[in-house]
Amino acid sequence: MNIAKYPFAILSAALFTVMLITPISSISNLIWLASADMPVGLITWIEVILFDFQRLGIALYAVVIIGFGVAFSVAGLISKYSSYNGKYLFAIAGAAAIGMALFLMVELLFQTQLLGGNRSIIGKILHCVAGFLGGYFFYSLVSVERSYTFIIRFLGILYAYLILGSLLEWIFTPVNAAANFGFVLNDLSSAAQNALLRDFTSFFLAIFLFAIMGVVTLNPAWFFSASIILIGAAIFNLVAIYIHGTEYNQIFITEFILGGWPAILSLIIILKKDKTKK
Amino acid sequence: MKTKVILSILFFSSTVLSGYKYETILDNLDDAWSIVFLSEDKVLYTEMPGKLKIASLSDKSITNINNVPSVQYGGQGGLSEVILDPEFKSNNMIYFSYSAKDANGKSTLFLSSAELRENSLINSKIIFEAKAPRRSPVHLAAKIAFLDDGTILLASGDGFDHREQAQTLDNHFGKIIRINKDGSIPLDNPFLDTKNALPEIYSYGHRNMQGLVVTSSGDVYEHEHGPRGGDEMNLVEPALNYGWPAITYGIDYSGAIISPFTEKNGMEQPLLHWTPSIAPSDMIFYEGDIYPELKNSFLVTALVSKDVKKVTFIEKNNIQENLFSELNSRLRNIQSSPSGVIYLLTDGPKGKLIKVLPKE
Repeated sequence: MNIAKYPFAILSAALFTVMLITPISSISNLIWLASADMPVGLITWIEVILFDFQRLGIALYAVVIIGFGVAFSVAGLISKYSSYNGKYLFAIAGAAAIGMALFLMVELLFQTQLLGGNRSIIGKILHCVAGFLGGYFFYSLVSVERSYTFIIRFLGILYAYLILGSLLEWIFTPVNAAANFGFVLNDLSSAAQNALLRDFTSFFLAIFLFAIMGVVTLNPAWFFSASIILIGAAIFNLVAIYIHGTEYNQIFITEFILGGWPAILSLIIILKKDKTKK
Repeated sequence: MKTKVILSILFFSSTVLSGYKYETILDNLDDAWSIVFLSEDKVLYTEMPGKLKIASLSDKSITNINNVPSVQYGGQGGLSEVILDPEFKSNNMIYFSYSAKDANGKSTLFLSSAELRENSLINSKIIFEAKAPRRSPVHLAAKIAFLDDGTILLASGDGFDHREQAQTLDNHFGKIIRINKDGSIPLDNPFLDTKNALPEIYSYGHRNMQGLVVTSSGDVYEHEHGPRGGDEMNLVEPALNYGWPAITYGIDYSGAIISPFTEKNGMEQPLLHWTPSIAPSDMIFYEGDIYPELKNSFLVTALVSKDVKKVTFIEKNNIQENLFSELNSRLRNIQSSPSGVIYLLTDGPKGKLIKVLPKE
């Protein structure tokens, strides 16, 4: 576990940092929209910040992981072979990683600024502060002993983070969500639209909440609940295709994968608990 | 060999299926961006690195034009659009857009005029320099068209990093510009009397316009790249605000929301939008007789969908048809020859000029 905690601490710190970074772009954009007399209300704030956390966050996640991977390795070597040590070394490494990643993103992408929030000096500073906090968080994760529950919790959060994308689409932009499922929402009758909106939204909300509850309580029943919904969806997808004659829809593969993920987490929790009892 | 045979069969089949046949007239064109017909046999075309050339379509000879101003090539910039003066036969004047550095070393959009005589440009003159400085040459738009009154429209893109400035009138980011042939400002431009507005502005709230057409009835149409989704086609009228980036049907390349709004009073709705993006790259309004099935429709080349969209409007509804997709090429430009034959320019460092043969 001692070795395994490092990569998972990087993944966790990167996710934490992404959560801090994405609102910088969201808020700077919302401030501009408000200044342009657009009707920016509370719902708009929630929608933009959550969507950006999920969609922009996923795009940035890999970049932050790579940056942190390099920076924390260097910080680890410095810590090992010098008198410099402690949380601030990793915090500075985190800030440097974010600063360098954002600099390279600009230089490699036609010298254009992909992150709206990074265009101003304040934005650049805030991004580095997010990296600093990410590094600090990383140190706090690795500086103490970790059990298998650390990995379970990370994988559960990552799972909920992925599911959040579909949940947000069904809440805020159901036309786009429907298009991702291969149908045009507005072509359906009003009753059908209503049924789909409430059922799909509830479907993803339930999975999301079950995953979060699993992370908080480490009770395998929550993860199994999420799993049952998605594996059920996959099975009844096949029933729809082969018994009811609907068009082939390969989304059942994704459903099996997303259903299997929390099932595995549940099984690990159960097996580990059994082992502890023995 | 086997693969080649299969590909040939597939290509032949699709060609037969669509009814069109194609003839490659020129190839190995170096980032060719724009073509214009000097006659049925001769085309003048630009290559982004800064070359202006004349090609004979019959003997395929190519002649370099001398004295072309130096351009800033890179990113999306370089020598871009070239068009002829409506009175070219009598005055030999051409107009061309390009990216170059301004006095402060920033990249921006320029429009120059020159006389084309004996394979050289003479009396070359910068008639417009966009007040839209940016770090690198991206989102320049650079399309040019003549209005019926002899004034010039120039599309000036939002510069990518400067998208919010498309909504203010004190700069040329995300604007369509209207000037006279000598660079002076027409006295009936819409914002002449607006405080802090630049007088060249004709319309605003645009992104990266890549198609600009004036039909024979005098209507102005443009299309522009959205980010991820939200490519638009608009009917352009003076003084109107087309909304970018306050309203859009697209999201940012990064996945971030640019605006959750798609409409607002005082901002124009597009005639149509393409989501997901097709990356429209050029457009003509076909009024020739060689292809009766295409007459009076817009033909929009696309980089991502690798085809031409035939667009017609019936009242406010649009009907679209995909054409020439069997070429499977990123299409950069489309032109109709004086007799009405359609030519397509493919994108990239080994571009081709392809003649579309009418259905038999």
